[in-house]
Order: sequence, then structure tokens, then C-alpha cells
Amino acid sequence: MAASVSGLLKPWTPRVLLVRWSRYNPYYLEPEVRKEAYSRPESELSPEEKEQRQLKTLRPIKAAPNAVTSSAFDNPVLSKFINMMMKDGNKVLAREIMMQTLENIKKKQVEKYHKAADGTKEEIECNPYAIFHQALENCKPVVGLASIQKGGKYYQVPIPLTDNRRRFFAMKWMITECRENKHRRTHMYEKLSQELLAAFEKEGNVIKKKHEMHKMAEANRAYAHYRWW
Amino acid sequence: ACHSEKHVGQFYTLPSAHVRPLFPNGLPWRFQHQTKTFNETCIMVRQPALEVISCLKKADYSQPALRYLFYGLKGSGKTLSLCHTVHFCYTQGWLVLHVPDAHLWVKNCKELLPSSYSSSRFDQPLQATTWLRNFKITNEPFLSKIKTKERYVWTKREATEAGSPLGELVDQGISRVKSSSDVVGAVMKELRLQSSQPGADFRMAVAVDGVNALWGRSTIKRQDKTAVDLEELTLVYNLRKLMKNDWSGGAIITTLSQTGSLYTPKSAYLPQELLGERGFDSVDPFIPVSVPNYSEKEFESCYLYYMDRNWLQHPQSRTEEGKKELIFLSNRNPSMLERLCGFL
Repeated sequence: MAASVSGLLKPWTPRVLLVRWSRYNPYYLEPEVRKEAYSRPESELSPEEKEQRQLKTLRPIKAAPNAVTSSAFDNPVLSKFINMMMKDGNKVLAREIMMQTLENIKKKQVEKYHKAADGTKEEIECNPYAIFHQALENCKPVVGLASIQKGGKYYQVPIPLTDNRRRFFAMKWMITECRENKHRRTHMYEKLSQELLAAFEKEGNVIKKKHEMHKMAEANRAYAHYRWW
Repeated sequence: ACHSEKHVGQFYTLPSAHVRPLFPNGLPWRFQHQTKTFNETCIMVRQPALEVISCLKKADYSQPALRYLFYGLKGSGKTLSLCHTVHFCYTQGWLVLHVPDAHLWVKNCKELLPSSYSSSRFDQPLQATTWLRNFKITNEPFLSKIKTKERYVWTKREATEAGSPLGELVDQGISRVKSSSDVVGAVMKELRLQSSQPGADFRMAVAVDGVNALWGRSTIKRQDKTAVDLEELTLVYNLRKLMKNDWSGGAIITTLSQTGSLYTPKSAYLPQELLGERGFDSVDPFIPVSVPNYSEKEFESCYLYYMDRNWLQHPQSRTEEGKKELIFLSNRNPSMLERLCGFL
């Protein structure tokens, strides 16, 4: 079949070449982007790390994705959040919104800082990154619910969640909350900054959602034995 | 106001009593937000502004007015240098005629009336009234001192007599929206005549941002969709008369601007390219002042200012490596640096 089809194909290269395939041979190793990992001299490494380095000289390495940088300002959690906010692959817009959100948070906090009396100045957190991380931490649920089938019926069973899953829930709730439950005409960055600041103070709709999830899990405690893992 | 070469790179605070009257909307948008956040207005003293200020101090005001033109790459600080110079003039007690952005008069016009004064021209009442209001706020003390020399007739029943104070003329323009563009023309004519006389006790500073709008093209269309030529707009016509060198007793300080300009390529920043042939010929004997990106000393000073105001929050941005990254990413361009530091 290949012999017949290749005669019809004209020589054509796609305009956008995919460099980072999503399915690599397991032989390939992950790329190491941070600069500090390469500046450590031989003596500081433990035997496993020496072995790892040796392996890296021999084996092929996957291409680093576009969004990962070796700059000091790289932040994996933030990149994940931007990816989740992205629609139709418009990373530029998603990144812009995120940057405007951070700037907005910083502006509000710095304004409060400059207007506050001297005693309260140290308590005001001005770093937007700290606020973002803390807000996400506050939104992460501890237990989640899984739909398990037993005897023809499906029960909502409380299960422990992995770290990745919890982070996913926090980000998803944050984004859906901002997209749907706010006034139509406010900008996304405005809505996001309000929600993040509220989550930092442990108030707001996302925290409420987390508490509801916990209450549901508590209510369905009896079915916990349906979990077999 | 008594800045000299030694102060290059240092920030100086504009007293808030001066900011409200001087710049009702003369400052750039992002700078206004920065002012609100930091609770103070700070401009860096830079070489181009210092040059113009020293020229203004030494100029002979019985000669025709000198024209200064700030030009440079996008975001290199032309508008803020203009604001610095305008503040200097204000502190010296001059009358300030500040047009925040001439491009706003040439595009997105919501109301276009045929002019009452001359049948071939068009009026823009909205922009004229906003400008008159700002002029009134800026030049309060002069409104009662200067008297008009001629009689202006607005309609069959309304006229401003010769010898009435300028304030009355301005109020006439603000209240009667239909004749506001003509009032603007009258105000400019009066001020031009009066400052040229040797007995005048005031000096006039004409500050126009985005001067290349006056000689470019416009997007305004008549009701039958034919384009309007720039000469047919009253505001543009009167401003062009002001830019001509035939009056004395003041200075004309202008800026080029590519960001608002119509039908110009993005990479154009030199006067020749942005003004076009006719513009260049009209402005011809002028003093060009180039506004470069930050030098190393200025960059340091800006960085320290942001640190002092608690604006750089990312822990990495406070290290040496973070600073090198900032230099690389922004190429020492003031506006890019400001945008980067906004979220870092």
C-alpha cells in the first residue's frame, strides 16, 4: 500500500515542524534546564549522580519544550496554570492575562503597603508569587471523591488524592470560578486577582468549593471501605 | 528646576500640588497608574530634557520662538522628557499650552460639524471642549490677567468685546459647544499676538506631543465617506499656525510619536520619516534632541528606585543574575523595563 500511496504524495513539508513529539522512545532522557545543575564540580556529586551524568553523555535526550526556560524567573506551577488557562493554543494571550493578574495583585498590595501605618507594614505580603502559591495551597482539597460501582449502583467514595491531582483541582476550580461566576464585563485578570487575593485570606468561592468537597467526603465516610487500593 | 549635569540619573519628585493642575491628562497612561500605586510622581532627570532646559534658560526671547523636537525609539522616554520640560516652564511661571496627544484630534472623531467661521472647514467640538477645560485648569492665574484685543462674534446675539479677560473667552467655548473649535483658534491667536509684543510680562510654552499627526494623514471621513484633508480641520489649522515661527517671546517643545500615528511603519522613528516632506519643511529650522535608551547609570538608578518603592518582588530579580536578565530582556528601554518589572 505504501508503494502506491507515495507516488501520489507531492514533496511537501508541513509549515510547523513538531520538534517535541509527545511520544518518545523510553530510551530518551529528560532534559535538565536549570543552570545550577551543571555548575557543580565533580567532587560534590554522589555516586548515583555521577552515574546519571555518565548516562547523559551516551543516551539521546528529548527536546526541551518551548515554555521551559533556564532563566531565573522560571516557575513550573505558574507555567502549568498558564497552560490550563490557554484556549485554542493561544499561549501569548494566556501569558499576558497571567502577567496582568500578577501586576494587578502587586499594585493592590503595594498601594495598601504605602498607605498603611508603619506598624502594620511588615504584615502586608507584596510578592505576587508568594500570594499565588499560598492561595493555591489554600485551595487544594485533601480528599476527593471517586465514582465506584458496587452491586449495580455507583457510590461516591472518598479517596486520598495525589499531589498532582490536588493541584489540578485547585487550578481548575479557580479558572472555572473566574470564567463563569463573575460579572460579564470585568476583565479576566481583574477577576483572577480578586479571587486569588480572597483565597489568600481564606475567603471566597473557591475555598467554599473546597469545603463543600470535604463535607461531601465526610458525609460519604461510610462507603470508604469500597475502595480497594 | 535648577537641575544640572550632576543630577543626571537621579529621580526628582513633582510636588502633588503641581501635578493636578499641570497634567489633567498629559501624562502617559501607565505612568499615571504608577503614580497612583507609589503615591508620588517621580521623573528621572535625563540628558535630553536637561539640554532643552538649559537652552530655554539662555534663549533670547525677543527673537522668533525656537522649536525643539524630541525623537527616539519607541518607549525611550520622549513624552516624559516633554513633561519634565513643561514642569520646568510651569515653575518659572510661563503660560503652558499643552496638547497631550495631537493624534487624538486626527482619528476616531465622533462628531464632525461644518465650521461656523469658514464654510470649507470642519469642527471637532468634543476634543476642543476637553482641551479648553484642561487649559483652564492649567493656566488659572493667566485667565484674568490677559485681555483680548479684538472683538469676536459667535452668533447673531453673542459677541466677546475687546478688552475682556481670557477667562471669559474660555468659558464661552466650554459652555457653547458648537463654537468651541473657533474659540480655540481665537485663544491661540490672542496668545500669539500678545506674547510677541515687547511689553508682555509672560512667556508662552507650546508643548505638543505627537506633532507628526499635524502633517500626516487622517482617518476622519465625511458623511459621504470621502476622506477629510487635514487642512480642513479647524483645530489642526490653528495649531499649524502656532507652530510657525512668526511669533516671539516663548518656545515650542514637541515630540514625535509613532504609536498613535496613522499609516506609518512601525520601525520609523526619525523626524524625516515621521513628519513627511511637508511637515519637515514647515518645522524646518528646529533643534532635534534624540532620546536614547537608559545608559548604565540610569538603569542602575531606575532599578534602585523600584527596589526602594518595594516594586521588585520576585526574589530572583533582586540578585545579580536577575538584574543581568532584566538588562538583556528590556535592552535598557524604559517602557519595556517598566512592563517587565510590573510582574516580576
